Amino acid sequence: MADAPAPLQTPLSRRGIERLDLMLLCAEALDLNGGEAMVWLSEEMGFRDLFPNRVELWKRRCSNPLRRNTRRAALKPEETDALIRILNALAERLYPMLRTLLSSAEPPELNQQRWDLFRSRLKELVQERLNPRRGGVQRLLDPQEGAELSRELVQAMALSAGEGGFERLRASLLDAAV
Amino acid sequence: MKLTSRYEQTSCRLVVEGLPDLSAGQDSGTIGIVTGFSMGLAGHTELEGQREHLQALLAAVIPYARHLLSGVPRAFGAADAPVAIEPSQGRHQLELRSSQPDTPALQVQLDDAELSDLVRCLDQVRLDQRLAIPFELPELHPLSRKELRHRQPLLRRLAAPVAGVAALLLSAALVSLAPTPKPPGSAPASPSSTK
Repeated sequence: MADAPAPLQTPLSRRGIERLDLMLLCAEALDLNGGEAMVWLSEEMGFRDLFPNRVELWKRRCSNPLRRNTRRAALKPEETDALIRILNALAERLYPMLRTLLSSAEPPELNQQRWDLFRSRLKELVQERLNPRRGGVQRLLDPQEGAELSRELVQAMALSAGEGGFERLRASLLDAAV
Repeated sequence: MKLTSRYEQTSCRLVVEGLPDLSAGQDSGTIGIVTGFSMGLAGHTELEGQREHLQALLAAVIPYARHLLSGVPRAFGAADAPVAIEPSQGRHQLELRSSQPDTPALQVQLDDAELSDLVRCLDQVRLDQRLAIPFELPELHPLSRKELRHRQPLLRRLAAPVAGVAALLLSAALVSLAPTPKPPGSAPASPSSTK
């Protein structure tokens, strides 16, 4: 099975775009230079035509319906594919960190501190950029439900890293809306 | 000349041994015939198998990871398959069944990190250009609404239809309490008639 884009050129649903942007937000919470890394990776991976500068990249991410300043313009499949490839590359870079967070072999207290740090950074980013009136954002900020959701996002990023991660993540983001 | 391909992650190591299928025109660096396969998982003894075991491992773990990524983990691997995997108390239970009679199946509990390592190793195997082996794997496709219905808790799924039925019953009860209009032929009661 080759890691080539499938012929299916379906645009992502609003929920798919929401999950994709939340995972990119997690990458920023895990890496303080995550935002810069995204711009750099976008250029390195040859997406200059799609995202000529950081503002254009930012605007595409603002298609997430949970954003404070959400854009209603639909994303093209090639734009979402490029964002998924950027996330795939970020997850690959961050894989040691993702793995550590998910591992049960780590000392529990130390791992709890790592989770607390990650969650506090994610909370800051969520409060800064997402609309607090949306139910999805309130669930992310909820101490209990937010902890489960952030673990799901970290696990999803770990399964999206590596060679087969792009295909798997794209198929998952194209899931039917429930 | 035997060829060996190794795929490693922190808690997992897969080694595929084989030979080029020269009759199919493969070059000397390509494995076209698998002669052996071994898997080392951290904390467990190394397991050895044949091509069908590698195929069964791929056929169980790759779709399992696909469903887990969508938040709907479920068991994969038929009862007679050499490998099965299922969610088990926040972990992932990998069952490896020996083809030798009277040998009990080996059950390995993987945590999320170990499962990710195994998935990455298997991804490397299935996408390796040096392995010219047609592994039979289901296509990675988006899941349908039916496959995803377990993602929402039962209460949340039932909330909308239950609220709809309740609203209908309530409005029907209120309407039944309203007085029925009098037929147009009957004269209205005169206030003086009480005198």
